[in-house]
Amino acid sequence: MKTYWNRREFLQKTSAATMAAFAAGAPMSSLLSSCSPSKKPGQTNGTADTVILLWMAGGMAHTETFDPKRYTPFVKGMEGNRVLSTFKSVPTVLDGIHFSEGLESIGKVMDKGTLIRSYVAADMGHILHSRHQYHWHTCYEPPQTVAAPHLGSWIAKELGPKNPVIPAFVDIGQRFTVGEAEELKAFHTAGFLGNEFGPFFIPDPSQGLESVRPPVGMDAKRFERRNQLYNDLISSGPMGEFGSDYQKESLKRSMEQAYMLLNSPEAKAFDLSQEPKASYDIYNTGKFGLGCLLARRLTEQGARFISVTTEYEPFKGWDTHENGHTRLEDMKKQIDGPIAQLIKDLDKTGHLDRTIVILASEFSRDMMVEGRPGAKVLEQVNQPDILSDLKFYGMHRHFTDGCSILMFGGGIKKGFVYGKTADERPCKTIENPVHIDGIHQTIYHALGIPPDTHYEVEKRPFYSTPDGLGKPVMDLLI
Amino acid sequence: MQAGIRAMVWIGAISSVIAAALGLLLVNQDDYGGSTVTIHQWLGLVTMVLAIGTVLALRSGRLELYRGLLIVTVVGVSLAGHYGVMLTHGDDYLSSVLPVGKGGSSNPVSGNSQFVFASATTGQPLTDKQIGDLNLEVRSILAHNCYSCHSATKTKGELRLDKKEFIMKGGEDGEILVAGHPEKSDIIRRIKLPAGNDDAMPTKGKRLSDHDIALLEFWIQQGAPWPNGAEKSIYRVADLEPRMPALPDAPAGITNPIDRFVNVYFQQHKLAWKNVVDNRTYMRRVYLDVVGLLPSPEKLKAFEADPRPDKRELLVKELLGRNVDYAQHWLTFWNDALRNDYTGTGYITGGRFDITNWLYTSLKTNKPYNQFVRELVSPTKQSAGFIKGIKWRGTINSSQRTEMQAAQNVSQVLLGLNLKCASCHDSFISDWKLADAYAFANIFADTTLEINRCDKPTGKLAGTRIIFEKLGTINGKATTNERLKELANFLVQPKDGRLYRTVVNRIWAQVMGRGIIEPVDMMDNEPWSQDLLDWLASDFATNGYDIKKLMFTILTSRTYQLPSVGLKDADLITSPNFVFQGMVRRRLTAEQFADAVSLAFSPIYVDTSIVEKQFPKQLKEEMPFPRASLVKNDPFLTALGRPNRETVSTSRSSQANLLQALELTNGEKFNDALKRGAQQWKATYPTPDALVKNLYWKALGRGPKPNELVIAQKIVGKNPTTEGIQDLVWAISLHPEFQLIY
Repeated sequence: MKTYWNRREFLQKTSAATMAAFAAGAPMSSLLSSCSPSKKPGQTNGTADTVILLWMAGGMAHTETFDPKRYTPFVKGMEGNRVLSTFKSVPTVLDGIHFSEGLESIGKVMDKGTLIRSYVAADMGHILHSRHQYHWHTCYEPPQTVAAPHLGSWIAKELGPKNPVIPAFVDIGQRFTVGEAEELKAFHTAGFLGNEFGPFFIPDPSQGLESVRPPVGMDAKRFERRNQLYNDLISSGPMGEFGSDYQKESLKRSMEQAYMLLNSPEAKAFDLSQEPKASYDIYNTGKFGLGCLLARRLTEQGARFISVTTEYEPFKGWDTHENGHTRLEDMKKQIDGPIAQLIKDLDKTGHLDRTIVILASEFSRDMMVEGRPGAKVLEQVNQPDILSDLKFYGMHRHFTDGCSILMFGGGIKKGFVYGKTADERPCKTIENPVHIDGIHQTIYHALGIPPDTHYEVEKRPFYSTPDGLGKPVMDLLI
Repeated sequence: MQAGIRAMVWIGAISSVIAAALGLLLVNQDDYGGSTVTIHQWLGLVTMVLAIGTVLALRSGRLELYRGLLIVTVVGVSLAGHYGVMLTHGDDYLSSVLPVGKGGSSNPVSGNSQFVFASATTGQPLTDKQIGDLNLEVRSILAHNCYSCHSATKTKGELRLDKKEFIMKGGEDGEILVAGHPEKSDIIRRIKLPAGNDDAMPTKGKRLSDHDIALLEFWIQQGAPWPNGAEKSIYRVADLEPRMPALPDAPAGITNPIDRFVNVYFQQHKLAWKNVVDNRTYMRRVYLDVVGLLPSPEKLKAFEADPRPDKRELLVKELLGRNVDYAQHWLTFWNDALRNDYTGTGYITGGRFDITNWLYTSLKTNKPYNQFVRELVSPTKQSAGFIKGIKWRGTINSSQRTEMQAAQNVSQVLLGLNLKCASCHDSFISDWKLADAYAFANIFADTTLEINRCDKPTGKLAGTRIIFEKLGTINGKATTNERLKELANFLVQPKDGRLYRTVVNRIWAQVMGRGIIEPVDMMDNEPWSQDLLDWLASDFATNGYDIKKLMFTILTSRTYQLPSVGLKDADLITSPNFVFQGMVRRRLTAEQFADAVSLAFSPIYVDTSIVEKQFPKQLKEEMPFPRASLVKNDPFLTALGRPNRETVSTSRSSQANLLQALELTNGEKFNDALKRGAQQWKATYPTPDALVKNLYWKALGRGPKPNELVIAQKIVGKNPTTEGIQDLVWAISLHPEFQLIY
């Protein structure tokens, strides 16, 4: 595997090396650092340095969240076809833009971000959530001949960690012991980029500290002593005769890094008990809310890419095959407060200026249409035409032709709405469709990662978006 | 504000110097030519001088001069910049649409420039061979410089240069060459024009070298010969047939055939034979390579003391005879290669089948490799998982349909051939065509496949053809099962040298840290010793396709016993400039590491972790302890490099990384095992001396050196504590001496 270097990249890397030399105290550093407003370490050439992905796992219906349509209250025996939204609409801070009831707090911070109402998910036939999730996160449809890297891994690979002691790609909230676990694992990976750029998993944000502190039952003193022992044994052993080789060097270097992380003051960021109670309580709507809090704390300490998920588990969370209306009341309670607070907090500390927060889901849902109009696929949900029971009142089928995405910060337009869906069923995208490669490229663009970034795998170029054809949606950027 | 301006001017001046230096570096390194680059170069240098002048003027306080110079400098920067962009992005960069499209496209790699103009000077008519070579060179130049805009994928100016009829036909401006008259040929006129000229080709900055231009002129002058029929490839293509080179003579003491070939190689590279490694190192190496386990202290001591001169051969024989241990170690390698796992995508919807039982049994009985391949390609129910592929629910990209997966995986794993490009479109990195890939895939299909190009139906139906037609003709009308039987029989014929070269190269790479050809999936690449590779493959085929026998020959060679070699950079493994000097040091695989800790100290896995159901019934009775190759993938093994077996994986990275170090530093699985073990060791070894010595022997196969003993005893304490023992074992198991196969 080998990267292609054009001169632009060459300059980028060498300037990074120069920065490193400066940091190491090279003689020229005093000359320049005194007079130039140079980039801070970890800063990119783009408008953003950090990305937080808020993942609505399981298919979030646009008509029940950020793109509400005509509300029809439940009446026993009603025709399903009449129902477009099962919630009332409420105003947001943006003129003429309404959200579905229960998302008032997010509505109030929309002046700080962009609402995309025209995301069109891929057409992959018979629906499988994990397959669409794979596609969303890697930009490639499975299966692939080459293990495709996760969005976070591309970013980790291209930019490295922002703060060396915070892993570049942190994945919060997903366990791999639930249904479709293997399918989930298949895209939570750095693929051909190598394990180094893979996700650092924190399945439970309230246990975040566990992953970055010395092993259970080991105090700081013993931890330090153990590390000292390791170094002493290496320097006294006979391995010196082997000279230096990359396995040995990379092992020693990684062990040092791990020790640094586990011992660093930044590790406190992983400890949610350090958060003031008032703030903690706002976030504490459950695992997802605390995930948002952890993401905020890590961003403040210099995280690069963080994913926080409502967690995918078949038929749980946003994956509503029945009781859609009732279930969504709960989902909105989980996300509304924490997301709004996350935006406000990041804004207050100035981090939002260089942090992209993006909320998305693998596809949307509808009460009647499975797949998309004109490309209907095998129905998976037993949804009657006449709603004889409240449990049938909700968006239970999988809809790919119109989904909502929110984006905030890091050079994304403020108070902006992009794209449109039809006001009558099928509520599909009718203006400015956006596809996954456009979303990825928009993020890459904001991070200063060139659109043609690619690596040679088995002598073939593998691009960050298929065939390198993805283009940033420039309209979304300031 | 003033300070800011001052700083910016300084930065500008310094940058201009750096830019100029980099530019000069690049112009010499790369094949830029024409007037644009000259203009850019001089403008750049002038700008640099101006920028320095500006700084000096500002420093001396001569404001008028400073302002004037600043303005001129800005103009200079703009002009130099403009010409610079013309170089890198082509002179149409302003008019072309943003953002910039494709990045560096992959250049097909041709062989070295072999054609010499010998005949150009002699005036003799060219021989057929010379014509073939000349044509090959021409096509190679066109491929490198012109295909990106003038071939099947992109056809600018309606001109294609990738086939005879297209070149002769010309483009929208008419014919591009007049045979026999380079001076009248438009193609020559255009490639000779300076960059920046409207008609110059290629448009994007880089010019053809004088050599390339001269060669194209010569070719046209010769009448632009383009032999019909079999065209020689511009890519290196390895021979399909087997070849048995004669054993070279060798000095006394060198008897193993491998050593005789390596001796010739060493002579060519002016390398001397080094002394073989000591008994301890050798024993550790062969143990890990054959059965994946560490030798016990008792075995090590007995081996040291053994006076028999042929004890190393006897040891290898003994280890190869441990069928269960061998199978449980090599299972990992073959699981990776055959994309077989106990869990994974596809199982959930019945879109995948495992071959564990079959594979385990095949390894245990050392099934002859020809039979092994036959059963994979023309499978029973038990071995069908390999060619059945992985099917996800929903519609699949046509290049990923299961029949195409079969074609790709059979090609990659068994033949060291990359068919992935060609399963979507005609390959840019080899001569394989879309139709070839489909014809091969069609052998695996129950109904005739329609050819799709880049996932779009073409309306053409696939033929039915083995990828190397020389191996035999598949009966397209036969049932799928019959076709697969034919294919299997054709593939395993002795005359399929490629199949056997591929496998011996893989085994060699596993125990030597680097293949004779690298990457091991690209068997068209050049081996560092063709003779050695050919001999190993032929010997393998004439001696019963016996992998264990092959391993015996390798492991008892003096070549294998040479001191190990370290590489400074992981990329050097696949470097074409690699020079063989001995086994390349490797890191223990995830499974070897887990097993080593389990055996030397305390089990990482318990009986219930074993994936019993997929294995033969007697598995639990015959395994020495719960080995890591027999468990489901978990975060611990993943961190240490076990791949998720969604795609074929034929080599693992030996490089450590932060996530791995974190898992080893505070991961639950590892620490729990160490803690459990420490409690046991505390009970078994009451004195620090006995404890440390035993640990060193079990883990590293040697006693501690005096200074190591002091350090270790200090940590475990006078009366060894559980914590102290745990920490010592942790430190030793992360020690490079434990982690490496050296």
